Amino acid sequence: MKTEIKGGKAFSYVDIELAPGETITTESDAMSSMAADLDLTAQLNGGFVKGILRKFLGGETLFISQFSNNTDGPRALTVVQPTPGEIKCVEMTGDMLYLQPGAFLACSEGVKVGLAWAGFTSLIAREGLFRMVVSGEGQVWYGAYGALIEKEIDGEYIIDTSHLVAYEPTVKLKLQLAGGIFSSFFGGEGLVTRVEGKGKVVIQSRSISGLAGWINPKFFW
Amino acid sequence: METYTVNITGEISEYQQRDEAIAAFAKLFSISPAQAEKTFEKAPIAIKKNVDLETADKFKEALIGIGVECIAIASSRAEDLAATQASVYSAEPDVSVQNNTSEPDALAATPMQEDEFKGFEFTIEGDPDYGFVTVQLPADKTIKVEASAMATMDTNLNMKTKFKGGIGRMMTGESLFINEFTAEGGSGEIGIAPGAPGDLSHQYLDNQTIFLQNSAFVACSEDVIVETKWQGLTKGFFSGESLFLIRCSGVGDLWFNTYGAIIEIDVTEDYVVDTGNIVGFTEGLDYKITKVGGYKSLFFSGEGFVCRFSGQGKVWIQTRGVDALVGWAHWFRPVKTNNS
Amino acid sequence: MQIEFVHQPGNTAAKVTLAQGETCTAESGAMIAMSGNMDITTTTHKKGSAGVLKALKRKLAGESLFLNHFEPLNGGGEVWLGTALSGDMFAMDLDNENLIVQGSSFLACEDTIDVDMGWQGFKSIFSGESVFWVNLKGSGKVIVSSFGAIYPVEVDGEYIVDSGHIVAFNETLDFSITKAGSSWIQSILGGEGMVCKFSGKGTVWCQSHNPRSFGNAMASSLRERRA
Repeated sequence: MKTEIKGGKAFSYVDIELAPGETITTESDAMSSMAADLDLTAQLNGGFVKGILRKFLGGETLFISQFSNNTDGPRALTVVQPTPGEIKCVEMTGDMLYLQPGAFLACSEGVKVGLAWAGFTSLIAREGLFRMVVSGEGQVWYGAYGALIEKEIDGEYIIDTSHLVAYEPTVKLKLQLAGGIFSSFFGGEGLVTRVEGKGKVVIQSRSISGLAGWINPKFFW
Repeated sequence: METYTVNITGEISEYQQRDEAIAAFAKLFSISPAQAEKTFEKAPIAIKKNVDLETADKFKEALIGIGVECIAIASSRAEDLAATQASVYSAEPDVSVQNNTSEPDALAATPMQEDEFKGFEFTIEGDPDYGFVTVQLPADKTIKVEASAMATMDTNLNMKTKFKGGIGRMMTGESLFINEFTAEGGSGEIGIAPGAPGDLSHQYLDNQTIFLQNSAFVACSEDVIVETKWQGLTKGFFSGESLFLIRCSGVGDLWFNTYGAIIEIDVTEDYVVDTGNIVGFTEGLDYKITKVGGYKSLFFSGEGFVCRFSGQGKVWIQTRGVDALVGWAHWFRPVKTNNS
Repeated sequence: MQIEFVHQPGNTAAKVTLAQGETCTAESGAMIAMSGNMDITTTTHKKGSAGVLKALKRKLAGESLFLNHFEPLNGGGEVWLGTALSGDMFAMDLDNENLIVQGSSFLACEDTIDVDMGWQGFKSIFSGESVFWVNLKGSGKVIVSSFGAIYPVEVDGEYIVDSGHIVAFNETLDFSITKAGSSWIQSILGGEGMVCKFSGKGTVWCQSHNPRSFGNAMASSLRERRA
């Protein structure tokens, strides 16, 4: 499988060339264009019960798509996330990575994408009760609205909840108010996530809620 | 003992890109890329005066390492040269960049000279499409930030919400509040993400005045004065374009953002800008809101009202217009369910 | 007419420089800024034809747009053009040929180009989609915009493009609406639904992102509107 992320940070998209017999798994509705003779199968996202849980509690789609090349030559496929923004590829080698719901785009064979309880803190922050757990061996593509910025955490750091995209399992999350009660309410920051531990977090430089907050007052009626 | 003065010539090594060299230079001296750019514009310029040969060599080595051409001149010979160049850096170069123990407020700690670098240290990432600024606040310093724009921060930053008000902010839908973050008990950093997808610009105000479209404001240091300028009935109110301007003056850092990329236009005669694409402009330009073309164009051209600038100065425009985005997004809004 | 693009690909703007006597035709609302001596006339079609009322009717029916014609008075002038959403642009020279462009992707052209907004090729199959298509005919420069990056696909045989990702294509290509993969059920469950299959020989310009997907992603965060 040959892949390349194109389009820069503004509009990342992934060009994929599948060799005969290869398969790639993507988020639902991720295909923008493809060779006409690739096969598409929709799979329940991790079994029916889990799939339903995921859809209603984790903010993920019920189905995921598998594109397979059953021809005898290489075939092209282009996939993209629903929002503009940066996409990153991680090479998994038996380690684990947590993704915020909605960040997952695609993975190669050998990668396991599961769902884990993220605790009630996550619910209060309107991010869903679950987080995606990516493990196994292979490539994973994930992305978010805005550019992705990596940060090494050693100790404590505060991140606006809507800007968190991915984090290593060594990093723990805790919710807190951004300031005092008055500030948190009128200052527009509300609840923020306090991250603790030693490891990498990935944040997005824009957020959909920030965009909506900017547009909403401008609607005339 | 003979001392030496290290000067940069303004030349960049042919093996290095100018942008990269300036970025590395900024990092080395813990200053902003914009400040570094300004220094290069003034080159040849002395960046370290009266140091011993060993230190001068260390500077030279660090500068050559990042592709910046420089020379060290014995101070006795550099006297005349230096007399015309008051500018001297007070910061030690952070030769081992990994070593972050150098105090962020090293610049502020030493007595200021004219033309010296001022303002907070900051980096901008994700530009030009999703500019994200991380500002290093020295201990006990405060930064004023648009409500909801804080994305990350150190745990020792304390947030206070202040009422800002102003009819302009009310009309254009900005929050009536603004947040002040203060680094307590030591320095700390804050990452700021505006809501609009676009670029971030930084200006260091040194008693100049800039007019900004109200919603372009992102953050400023404490001593920048931000006032809402009432446009009056003729200029802004009836245009339906909410051209509310804020007047920024004083001394300090100012960050503003755009929807889309930013284009700078030097106005020499007159220039027409769609009101939705104005980011800001310098003092000294006159402007009036007019319709574009005839009345047919007013209603059907999709341009509506425009701002006609005249005089001499700079106008910053953004490559995307907010109104068009708002019009597009309207159709995705959830429909209110009416129970009555 | 000289075209220069700045800030590609994220938030591209086109700077169009016109000599005296030249006219640039652009989609309504595209002007960001311009020289003070630029004259604008608004029509629904080629300069000097068709009535506004007729066009307004078509606009309400969601299948037409107004055009602005920019012409500098007393010497040359410049006009900056942008789009509603972020994204890229590209320019091409048409040489007595037809280019089919998705309605919101048409940005501007020289006035030697005929902008035909009545192209009905997809009419029957994309019913319900508020997408209309423009047929650019003739010889001259045209500017096309996209939501996201633009990538051309040279079709020689068959290729599938999701309907929300089509920017423009050579009229030499055949197209049909079909499913992604071999099964309708799988295509629908996979979220792809109906897609467009191009066949023959020619170029399709695709946009990396689908505005509708983006709109849906932010829908739940937007303020409610009255029905």
